[in-house]
Amino acid sequence: MKKPKVAFFDFSCCEGCQLQVANFGEGLLDILNLIEVVEFREVMSEKWEGDFDVAIVEGSITTPHGVERIKKIRDRSKVLIAYGSCATIGGINGMKNKFDLDEIKEYVYKDGAKYFETIPTRPVHQVVKVDYFVHGCPVYQPEFVKVLKCALQGIPYTVPDHSVCVECKLNENECMYDKGLTCLGPVTRAGCNSWCINNGNICYGCRGMVSNPAKNGQMDILEKHNIPLDWVVNKIDMYNKPRELEETETNGKKR
Amino acid sequence: MTQYVILNKTDLDEFISRLAQIKKTVAPVKRGVKNYAFEEVTSGKNVAVKYIPTILPPKKYFLPQTETLQQYDKSKKTWNAVMEFQEMIIFGVHTCDLAGIQCLNMAFSDKPKDINYLARKNRILIIGLECNDYCDEYASCKVMDNHMPNGGYDLFFTELDDFFMVHINTLEGEDLIEKTGLFKEAKEEHKKALKAMREEKRKRFKDEVNVTHNQLKPLFDKSFEAPVWQSLEARCVSCGNCTNVCPTCYCFDIEDEIDLNLTTGVRKRRWDSCQNEPFAQVAGGENFREARGERQRHRYLRKFKYPVDKYSRYFCTGCGRCSRTCMAKINLKETINELAQGAK
Amino acid sequence: MKRVTLKESAYNVKTGKILVAKMLTAQEKYFKIALAGGESLDHEPGQFVMVAVPGVGEAPISVSSSPTIRGYFELVVRDAGKLTHVLHQLEAGDTVGIRGPFGVGFPTQILEGNDLVFVAGGLGIVPLRSLINFVIDNRRDFGKVSILLGCKTPQDMLFGDEVDQWEKRLDVNFNCTVDKADPDWKGNVGLITSLIPGVTLDIERTFAIVVGPPIMYKFVIAELLKKNIPERQIYLSLERHMKCGVGKCGHCQIGDVYCCQDGPVFSYDKIKNNIEAL
Repeated sequence: MKKPKVAFFDFSCCEGCQLQVANFGEGLLDILNLIEVVEFREVMSEKWEGDFDVAIVEGSITTPHGVERIKKIRDRSKVLIAYGSCATIGGINGMKNKFDLDEIKEYVYKDGAKYFETIPTRPVHQVVKVDYFVHGCPVYQPEFVKVLKCALQGIPYTVPDHSVCVECKLNENECMYDKGLTCLGPVTRAGCNSWCINNGNICYGCRGMVSNPAKNGQMDILEKHNIPLDWVVNKIDMYNKPRELEETETNGKKR
Repeated sequence: MTQYVILNKTDLDEFISRLAQIKKTVAPVKRGVKNYAFEEVTSGKNVAVKYIPTILPPKKYFLPQTETLQQYDKSKKTWNAVMEFQEMIIFGVHTCDLAGIQCLNMAFSDKPKDINYLARKNRILIIGLECNDYCDEYASCKVMDNHMPNGGYDLFFTELDDFFMVHINTLEGEDLIEKTGLFKEAKEEHKKALKAMREEKRKRFKDEVNVTHNQLKPLFDKSFEAPVWQSLEARCVSCGNCTNVCPTCYCFDIEDEIDLNLTTGVRKRRWDSCQNEPFAQVAGGENFREARGERQRHRYLRKFKYPVDKYSRYFCTGCGRCSRTCMAKINLKETINELAQGAK
Repeated sequence: MKRVTLKESAYNVKTGKILVAKMLTAQEKYFKIALAGGESLDHEPGQFVMVAVPGVGEAPISVSSSPTIRGYFELVVRDAGKLTHVLHQLEAGDTVGIRGPFGVGFPTQILEGNDLVFVAGGLGIVPLRSLINFVIDNRRDFGKVSILLGCKTPQDMLFGDEVDQWEKRLDVNFNCTVDKADPDWKGNVGLITSLIPGVTLDIERTFAIVVGPPIMYKFVIAELLKKNIPERQIYLSLERHMKCGVGKCGHCQIGDVYCCQDGPVFSYDKIKNNIEAL
């Protein structure tokens, strides 16, 4: 059997999610038995001119050039995997959508601003069709392997649509709210095995929000813990601001 | 068989160490600021003798969070049903959790029997530990009739003055007594002390809700349209905590895992929760328990009505975990009281 | 953790070989399957099996063929979920895993000697066909037989040739309707409930067997009750997502009953007070 040709691409991001692949250690060898990596800027200099069986795309789309480039990648790819929070939900880059774009450009680049074009940050699926989502900042390696196996088998991968609390409780972590901390676990999609909380950190909502959060109930909880709503919305916006562009600009419905 | 023996408190550490040499031993250990969890121990150093119910009940050993049911090999077209088990001793199980294990035993012995569960259960030895007083305000073990020992253990420890009174309930339990070799025969004075403690305890433990044990079932029989479910509908956030921590919730999902060779793999079951949104959804998209209030009602009825009809036993143990862990502070005792209030 | 192989387990899988696979409509695929070693499935009409593809998963699928057929059984699968999507890619010669049959099927012994009204909406014909063909193969054991069939459009009609045969039989009273007709359609147009008033029946000895999408039951039952058919003489087959098939996993629970063990076939009087049923 010919190995599927897989390529990694990056858009606006820190490239940390690709680093997660490079960091696999020995497990990477098993993966490389299965696929042929034809393009991966972070670890190799080769380029591939043909089509891709699987394109793994990190980063969000934040420039007109990015829009054109992702469309070309999509045209050359049988399967496209949005990889990491920037690609799946816009991620950190989405914070710029809070500001007037010209003002924020001036703020960042000062005199050089005139050399840069910028558009509101969008996750990949708001620009082209995405077949698989690997959420997370960075991605959770075991989930990436799961998704890759689904992609190679040609079957869908369903991102869990329940909250991180479910996994957190199974890991028998003490609840952050019990410790007096505000954690976004209750509104964030599971699938990361509550990685951050297992290691003593709160959940920052990097996997995007569950599709049907209980608004009333959540407000209740905030009230009980004396947490102001705008404070939490701010926290959510750190990764999830581009959710506001969902379905208004695109017809693409997210898994 | 001597029914009662005693262990000096000072010998507890040594007892746990010796147990751990016999086979894998787990016991309640402090977790975080105010929580506890069952963990593997090798000595009594970290074992908590006084503890509020652990985050997850000991069901995690009887029904592991994920468990392999089948192995397959696509190239050879073979499928094998398998079971997984591990010999172990659980030390320090409260009476509420003993009741929880008894409930699980009933559900999994019901036809068709679940061989995987039953075979694993038979390889776990249970050492119970009495609560002489309430753990905290969430417990409702008295009204559920689980505050006193009622079987379901190999050995049962009761802490008294400077010793533990130990009830031997099975031959396997007696075997542990002999192998660890730290126990002395219980004398009349020891038995008196136990009796006195139990008498005190009976006075201290009172029905924690406004209905009695026997009134609970009729109350829930008539609860389908009760307004309390609407109130839970507005409050529940479907985090699934209540079912994950419940000692008698045993719903699961079944999923395939394939190895990286894309040829061999396993089929597993893993804990699932009726509180998760897609739990009752069918492929066509219809969700038969779409509303959070319906899902909460279902959870309560699976504790106070359905199992009573089927097994003549409440599947609520009164451990209080669901209330203790609820993000939205949904409280089992309050729900029952609200129901009772509405039924008047 | 030790792992040992189990000979006796509810999770043991039999190998099923696909003998024939063909698309019936744009969405539904038909499979003729034989168990390895010539083993018979031994199902009752109305029961279901768990169909598995290794690496993908398992899904409950109702058996569509009558047990009067030996040597193989038939399934009809709509491309609606992960497993069924993969099933649609399989062809003759491929194998699938089979567990079961599971559940309580249609009560053929109770139905014997009585008049039957079959009401099938949409995909409901798939499980109901197992009973209809059983009755037709044992025709003299039953009284009057009426078949009422409804689907969205004429293109959605399953088993067209077989349905034509039912229609031609003199000992079967056949009627069907579509929600939306095309120019070639010569039959009724409208909901399946519109066919019920036209059926003449003897309420003493008529049993109605209804299978269709969840939304259909309430309306069909109301029509049947208007005809004064006693509640215990109405049978339904309910759809839920069974995961284990052996009454443990909780997914198919309907109030106090497990659809996979106590159903999927229920008499209306048994579940009419079950708030989660209809």
